[in-house]
Amino acid sequence: MTAGIDVRQFVKRDRVHRDIYEDPAIFELEMDRVFAHAWVYVGHESQVPNVGDFFCANIGTQPLVMARHTDNKVYVLHNRCGHRGVQVVNTQQGNAKLLRCMFHGWTFRANGEVAGVTQPEGYATDLKLDPVAYGMPKVARMESYLGFVFVSLSPTGPSFKEYFGGALSALDDLVAYAPDGEVELTGGVLRYAYPGNWKFQADNSCDMYHVVYSHESSRKGNTQYIRRPGDAGGIPFFDNSNKVVTFDASGLWAFDGGHGWEGAVTQSHGNNAPWYADYVALLEKKHGPERTREILTRKRHNSIFYPNLVIQDLNMHVRLIRPIRVDLTEVVIFPIKLKGAPDEMFLESVRMLNTTNSAASLTQADDVEAFARGHAGLRTKNGNPWVLIARGDGKEENDPVYENGLRTFGSSELLLRKQYASWLNWMTQEA
Amino acid sequence: MADLNTQPHATAARALSPTDELLLVRELERFVAFELNLLDGREFEAWCDLFTADGIYWAPSRVEQDDPLGEVSLLYDDHEIRQMRFLRLRHPRVHAQVPFSRTSHMIGNLTIDEVNEDRGEIAFHCRFVMHDYRPEWAQREFAGRYDYRLVRDGSSLKIKLKKATVINCDAMHFPISIPL
Repeated sequence: MTAGIDVRQFVKRDRVHRDIYEDPAIFELEMDRVFAHAWVYVGHESQVPNVGDFFCANIGTQPLVMARHTDNKVYVLHNRCGHRGVQVVNTQQGNAKLLRCMFHGWTFRANGEVAGVTQPEGYATDLKLDPVAYGMPKVARMESYLGFVFVSLSPTGPSFKEYFGGALSALDDLVAYAPDGEVELTGGVLRYAYPGNWKFQADNSCDMYHVVYSHESSRKGNTQYIRRPGDAGGIPFFDNSNKVVTFDASGLWAFDGGHGWEGAVTQSHGNNAPWYADYVALLEKKHGPERTREILTRKRHNSIFYPNLVIQDLNMHVRLIRPIRVDLTEVVIFPIKLKGAPDEMFLESVRMLNTTNSAASLTQADDVEAFARGHAGLRTKNGNPWVLIARGDGKEENDPVYENGLRTFGSSELLLRKQYASWLNWMTQEA
Repeated sequence: MADLNTQPHATAARALSPTDELLLVRELERFVAFELNLLDGREFEAWCDLFTADGIYWAPSRVEQDDPLGEVSLLYDDHEIRQMRFLRLRHPRVHAQVPFSRTSHMIGNLTIDEVNEDRGEIAFHCRFVMHDYRPEWAQREFAGRYDYRLVRDGSSLKIKLKKATVINCDAMHFPISIPL
């Protein structure tokens, strides 16, 4: 039992209850139990490349700031003044020697410590203004993995590696695409919103069942539109006899914790583009031909690091899910730049990302429509209160490659079942 | 990408006589009204035909954005993407537009920035307001600035660049299906 609501009744093996999408009280519990406990993605170190750089983020509904201190390390702080709790940083990003609260002029270093209290003689001498205790609080736990910064607001719980386990291979493989072995999020930000619960986006992050139906309007001939100049066609939607492509063959992988990915739907990295040979040569110079072939064998389409990070391997980008209210969610998109790769590769990725993932996109708009209609449909309380996530139940098998990974067919809802098992696990923990 | 940035040249129009300026402003206003009527009338194919073959329609994701290539944009449509965009809007299962949005675009404060007789190009900017209503969704209002670069093509004008900078382009938005 949690705060009078028995959340166990809402999650069955193959179905979840509509209240978890629609009930504001459950949303508030999620903010405490899931978002303030799980390992949650906040940003990438490349967003704060220089000392003094800061970038605002959120965990659930709590404001944070990620900043680079004079020790060149990245810190994630609660964005509130140690004095009266006022939000200190008020711009999305920037650079500052000190972070200054507008209310009474207290200043803070990028590691959160108090740098200065104005008119300190007004405080009783027995109130020791300890720079840490009265600073901007550091988050309880933080881990930077290949530059991707995750935090947990709880001092206890599974370690970062325990929580993500074999799913971290998705970040290893992503970064391996970069000839310099590093990625950057320096190509701007796209934001879209939808009137619906944050879980609609999490549910859909690795759903290969919806593609040909939800995105039918972006079909051109038998395929979706071409994602990279020079490719013979886009992702196939229909075969030559006009039958729907199931994507089952590309597979789906799932892990405890609710993490996983869809198998690759194309092997193209822009292989017909003029810069492709240069890109391969750069990788081969570093790794040799055999390892390069392995790196370039695309293994994933979308990957989710539950609850709030999705990474797409095709039009490479980070997608961050930000719950705002039970019925309002923001999704923030950052293009991924492979350091050391030909510039054109990134420019093409940016060009296509505008069409796939901006608020004015040709594809994302249809997902948003599904989320909005999901929210509308689940106002239904009587009749059938259940959301079915049964597809492929029992068809999964252990994966021989990835630690504790399960593998199944592409359009299975296995990953949703893993996500809701994880959700229930967090939601039933003692605070 | 300085070429795509129509910086205002406050003195550029002064070379025109007051009468010529008046006539040109009127011609441009009529052109923009015609263009926006096509959008509001859902005549998307005709709207596309107003662009040159290399014409760009750009809506930045940041008010100060000056690079449409290395940084993501709300829209950055060349001929190919425009074709895909409107092919999609004509599809019977364009779920995000069933029912479709009704729009109303208006402009004002039109100011000529540059008239380049050699290249036959005219750069100007204006302010715009676009209302957008889709049944069941709240009516929205977008406001901002259009920067145009037009080129004379015989007796008609074609759009080489239309840049639509919405004042809240860096905010989160519900889907924007009709060009701003």
